Amino acid sequence: MKDAVGAWRCLVIEDDEENANYIARELQELGYQTQIGRDGPSGLQLASTANWDVIILDRMLPDEVDGLSILTTLRGLGNKTPVLVLSALSALDQRVRGLKAGGDDYLTKPFAISELAARTEALIRRSSSAAENRKLEIADLTLDLASRRVERAGRLITLQPREFRLLAYFMMNPDRVLTRTMLLEAVWDYRFDPQTNVIDVHVSRLRGKLEADGECPLIHTERGTGYRMTADLQSNRKK
Amino acid sequence: MTGNTGSMHRPWRSVGFRLAFYYGLLLIITMIVTISIIYMQTVGVLYQGMTRQVLTVSQKLTTRFENGGPQALIQDIKRELGDDQNSGTELFLYVDSTRAKLAGNLDQPPTKVDGLRGGDHRLMRRRGQEISGYVIARSLSDGSQLFVGNDLHDQEAMDSLVTRGIALACAVAFVLLIGGLFVFRQELDRSVEPIRRTLTRVAAGEIKERVEPMGKEDEFALLANDINSMLDRIEALMSGVRNVSDTIAHNLRTPLTRILLRLRTAAEDASVSAIEKKHIDDAIADIEELTLVFEKLLQIVEAEAGARRIDFQPLSLSSVVNEVVDFYEAVAEVQQAKLAFTSAENCTVMGDPDLLAGAIANLVDNALKYGGIGTEVRLKIEVTPDRVLLTIEDNGPGIPGQELKKLGTRFFRLDRSTAGHGLGLASVVAMVSLHSGRISFDSAMPGLKVLLEFPRHLP
Repeated sequence: MKDAVGAWRCLVIEDDEENANYIARELQELGYQTQIGRDGPSGLQLASTANWDVIILDRMLPDEVDGLSILTTLRGLGNKTPVLVLSALSALDQRVRGLKAGGDDYLTKPFAISELAARTEALIRRSSSAAENRKLEIADLTLDLASRRVERAGRLITLQPREFRLLAYFMMNPDRVLTRTMLLEAVWDYRFDPQTNVIDVHVSRLRGKLEADGECPLIHTERGTGYRMTADLQSNRKK
Repeated sequence: MTGNTGSMHRPWRSVGFRLAFYYGLLLIITMIVTISIIYMQTVGVLYQGMTRQVLTVSQKLTTRFENGGPQALIQDIKRELGDDQNSGTELFLYVDSTRAKLAGNLDQPPTKVDGLRGGDHRLMRRRGQEISGYVIARSLSDGSQLFVGNDLHDQEAMDSLVTRGIALACAVAFVLLIGGLFVFRQELDRSVEPIRRTLTRVAAGEIKERVEPMGKEDEFALLANDINSMLDRIEALMSGVRNVSDTIAHNLRTPLTRILLRLRTAAEDASVSAIEKKHIDDAIADIEELTLVFEKLLQIVEAEAGARRIDFQPLSLSSVVNEVVDFYEAVAEVQQAKLAFTSAENCTVMGDPDLLAGAIANLVDNALKYGGIGTEVRLKIEVTPDRVLLTIEDNGPGIPGQELKKLGTRFFRLDRSTAGHGLGLASVVAMVSLHSGRISFDSAMPGLKVLLEFPRHLP
């Protein structure tokens, strides 16, 4: 669905001008084409008339419009564009969970732009990815989802079930930044915020098993954000 | 919610049953009193009249003997037996000193004569027939003996009539009592049930539920009205809290986002010097910290307002704890600590798996963090008929006794030198109470022991 230039098209529906502009600018830097809707009616109009790869939707819009009602209307029209909901409401809000079940994602304000970018990309990939590949490969590492076999350069790697899920999630999202919260949600299905660096410990354990023979690292730390699995350290690094 | 079916299994706990029981008891007592009076007034009076009559006749005959001798007495007895008056029931016997019968309708003197001076009951024979009667014995001056008495046949007939009446009345009363039990129970249940149903749902988070008007003006209708106005008030208070927290959330988060985004833009600017960048990064860290505090506080307030109880589902506490233990196993390994978990079966509770996992993770996290290298954290689930108990115990330094009480209060921190806000345990407390549970802290000698109690969900 990329346009002529090959950029992803993203619609930002957010009434706070500064936030909207900032999000749009950051996404543009990442190669997106963006447009901004300032309120409910115009947002809905934009969302339903043009073809988008992803929509970023604020929950609290002017005139007491709840962003979720726009989402409901869109879905009612048969529009399946992935939507990332920005919520200023607390994480305890029950409706947020329903969102997740509907295949969309949400993010609580204030957020880090890197988190927003990572989640937006994950949403687009999820909706465009073809049938799940049963066999994943990165460099000399292979993972078979069906037989649950993991090998690196022919060496069999034994993993705990969680480690397997963690690795599978990494391998299904190659070359992409995965934040700690994304890992926590995808692998453990938790939405709370663990105080200690539990995720880091799990990742480093997994790394230890993957690189036991002094092979080159595949999971790289993205400072302040999360992790990225990539075969080639030189390319793909943005900053 | 355990009382729900309790009244069925333990009838004594039902007010309806007790009321009906007291009502029945009262009924029976009233009946016994009434019947006793009737009995005294009929059978008793008749009996007294009969004994008086027997006494009078025996006195009359004794006087006759004293004045006219044995012949006059025999004549009198014959006349008495000859007249129609009471001749069917009157008993006479006159025997001489050798106990030979001189006159009368009894075949032989009754037994145990000594006990008959004042009159008593005896079994006797009258013209070959055995009868029971009341009889008085009199010894006369020439050694002969006179027995005067009365057949008890009528008395007994009357007696059994009244007794049958009483038995019948008792049976009727018993049936009424049983019927009363059901009617009372049903009437009460019918009035109380809608109230209970509504309150159970409200307790489960459906704060908009109201007791349906009963269309009557009785005590229960009044009670229902009172409950409804109380619920209105609670709902207003709760939505007040929600509104305030939503507004705070929106009005603070949006500008916070803006500030953060601005600072990050500034930090990425190439012209910023290293020192400036450090200041900006510090400011960002501070704001992120602030956001965290704010998030936790809001979460506590919302949990306390019972905002998310509607989402609750039955879940096994054991599997929630198991996953948390699994999650922290790696951390424990790194610091050479041990995590042990034992669980009882059937530990289902109503709850939100994520919130519960968050609260338990917080406690495990604390235990590992404060326990330090090589600490041992033991988690244990036990069940009682209506509760599920989770104990989390470590052998770390623990907490001084006088500080134990303050644990879990907002912003309380034992050690001000370590990082933190004193909201972690407060949010655990809020989550536990959102799940209608209880939390208590105790010393594990050494170490800290945290006990969580949740109502057990029975399918």
